[in-house]
Amino acid sequence: MLDVGRHPKINVLAYSEVVDFNGEIGNFNVKVRRKPRYIDASRCTACGACAEKCPTKVPNEFNFGFDDRKAIYKDYAQGIPSVFTIDPDHCKVILGGKCGVCQKVCQAKAVDYEQKESFVDLNVASVIVSTGYELFDATQIPEYGYGRMPNVISSLEMERLLSAGGPTRGHLSRPSVIYGEKRLKELPKLIKKAEKDQKEDQKQILEQEMKRIEEQVHKYHTAKKLAFIQCVGSRDFRFHKYCSNYCCMHSIKEAIIAREHEHETESYIFYMDLRTVGKGFEEYKVRGAEVSGLKYIRGRVAEILQDEEMNPVVYYEDTEKRQVVGMTFDMVILANACSPSKGIRNISELLGLELDENQFVRTSPNNPLDTNVPGIFSCGCAQGPLDIPESVAQASSAAARAAEVVMTEGLPIAV
Amino acid sequence: MNLPDIVDRTGAYYCLDCGICTGSCPVSRIFPDFSPRLMVEKVLVDQEENPLEDINVWACLSCGQCSVRCPSEIDYPEFVRLIREEAVLQGKTGTPAHRGLFQTIMRMQTMDVKQSKTEWAREIGNISTSGDVYFFVGCAPFFDVEFHDDWGLDMMDSPRGSLKLLNAVGIDPVIHDDERCCGHDLFWNGDTENFVKLARKNVELIRSLGCKQVVFSCPEGYMTFKNRYPEFVGELGFEPIHLYELLTREANSGKIKFEPLETRLTYHDPCRLGRQAGILEEPRELLKAIPGVELTEMEHNRQSGICCGTSAWMNCSACSKSIQKKRIEEAISVGAETLVTACPKCRAHLSCALRDMETPLQIRDLNEILAQAIKL
Repeated sequence: MLDVGRHPKINVLAYSEVVDFNGEIGNFNVKVRRKPRYIDASRCTACGACAEKCPTKVPNEFNFGFDDRKAIYKDYAQGIPSVFTIDPDHCKVILGGKCGVCQKVCQAKAVDYEQKESFVDLNVASVIVSTGYELFDATQIPEYGYGRMPNVISSLEMERLLSAGGPTRGHLSRPSVIYGEKRLKELPKLIKKAEKDQKEDQKQILEQEMKRIEEQVHKYHTAKKLAFIQCVGSRDFRFHKYCSNYCCMHSIKEAIIAREHEHETESYIFYMDLRTVGKGFEEYKVRGAEVSGLKYIRGRVAEILQDEEMNPVVYYEDTEKRQVVGMTFDMVILANACSPSKGIRNISELLGLELDENQFVRTSPNNPLDTNVPGIFSCGCAQGPLDIPESVAQASSAAARAAEVVMTEGLPIAV
Repeated sequence: MNLPDIVDRTGAYYCLDCGICTGSCPVSRIFPDFSPRLMVEKVLVDQEENPLEDINVWACLSCGQCSVRCPSEIDYPEFVRLIREEAVLQGKTGTPAHRGLFQTIMRMQTMDVKQSKTEWAREIGNISTSGDVYFFVGCAPFFDVEFHDDWGLDMMDSPRGSLKLLNAVGIDPVIHDDERCCGHDLFWNGDTENFVKLARKNVELIRSLGCKQVVFSCPEGYMTFKNRYPEFVGELGFEPIHLYELLTREANSGKIKFEPLETRLTYHDPCRLGRQAGILEEPRELLKAIPGVELTEMEHNRQSGICCGTSAWMNCSACSKSIQKKRIEEAISVGAETLVTACPKCRAHLSCALRDMETPLQIRDLNEILAQAIKL
């Protein structure tokens, strides 16, 4: 990604959206709306002094709310272009209040609260749609308790917990502990306030809560017994009939990394059939069992309950042993399906693209990158669930197809 | 219906053998021999054992917990019902509860019997002989015969409450002596022949009275009329509606108000009303509309509500008791003073288990509570 950002012939229009589109192969007119960042991107050096001093805290979307970012922020460290952005929904100045701290501390004088949106008109020969995917919203399966039980998390939340640059610096803390620690910081203030207002009952309730959380945080800090649940929303007639392709490998990878971070980690993968199709994938699965001690259990999980200590209790039928079992874990990681991105409907209408029955861009097996519109190509999860190696291969391929169009000015080339 | 047709009709050939059904089944948790997955597998692959002879066919509660979670959307309760229907044709049956008393009462109603089913209503409220709205009382009066003296359980609380509520919103419904059992239980016992006889009698009666709407408080009656009758008797010619749909509408438009009732309640979703008919929020909204009521939720609620342990008066067993006791313990663990049900059978079954437990928990009917609290 950094290479793309630095490339002299690649112009990245981030934080922007296509608002108008017409034309034909070799000659497309695209109107792009550039949303205001309230930062002059040509001046910003991404030193971060603004975010350090900004007083407004906002739950960090990139870390799924496990920690906070500021109202002036960078989505994540490696993002391109490397400039800061002001979140207009939370910045005090933009909401009409008083602050202006970031402007004061910015030595590059990049902050511009008056910045307006702008439009760019492009004329291009070819277009590649690679709008990615959305994580399946697991709250649609209430029996899994996602969103209700803190220690049931999605595969991407797990990714952030395992990341050295993530909210826990790669330590596998239980989310109930992360939220608990956050609450422990608030509680003394609330208790003092109750004391001041002479609300004895309230004070007692708060003190009890503090004691309970302290015990919890102390006792169950690290998640060591993990359950990975496959096919959450995939291969399910109620949601997505298709297989999401990458989740089996993703869960195995996360389980192996968890073990590398903490050697006492014990992981169970609940699957229907492990689809480890790809170069070296089957070997990786076997290595998971032999080296990292992963246990593969054949059976889709029926429901997840929660015990008094906030441990998820997983109920399932082990279909090989023909037994119904309830097993207690420290944390459950759902392998959420790959859902079509929310914006795909909008962009497909604008570009005149056909979508398939699952709301991914329609392509054909013989021309896997071509859409129904000549000159417009599609790659990656915009056209269906794909893992990283396949997405990378498709991206190169789509770029080559687009280059063909540019070189021939839209005329077909003889093969 | 032969087995391949049953598989076809219920989509059972889509089975992925994943085990969600068995993992979800309240019976399987207690009786490891019972497995919805294996029953489907037996029918699909090895037919060495005759599935019609499998006694487990009669242990299914038809609660549908498996089906709502099934990734292949297999209609498992219907799968079991069709197998039962076939088994009955071959002279097999399960073990009816209460010595088969209720099945006998139901079958008697297929004949020309003279019934008195309106007397209670005249004593406590207003009913009409003709009009647009019919109130389907259901079988509570018959259940009362069995339970009233033995356990002191007044099964008439529910219909009495319903009538009082209907009167309170300005409806004096039609009730008739010739009303029959809806046939739900015989249908789920596999006795389709007698079910159809009952269905015909009910539909002909209501059509002859010219009613346009039929109000149910019994979830089984509601689901049977709405989803099953049309297949056997054609278009109904009237609209089945559940009492809580009607009351929620009235409550939202401010037409009904409640007196305060200081208590901590929890609500038990009947399978037919909640998971199967999708009436999940209405009963809760009505309870919350009563000032002073604190509504807590049990661990298993709404779509995941647990069955009351036995269904269609069939195969009541030690397993049923365990399921019921677990359910009551859930209610106790959330600190409820009263467990509220909205189905006369849930009430009877859970009350049965409560007799062996030492707890101050009460089990009451939702209609009775609403009728007690309504401001007239």
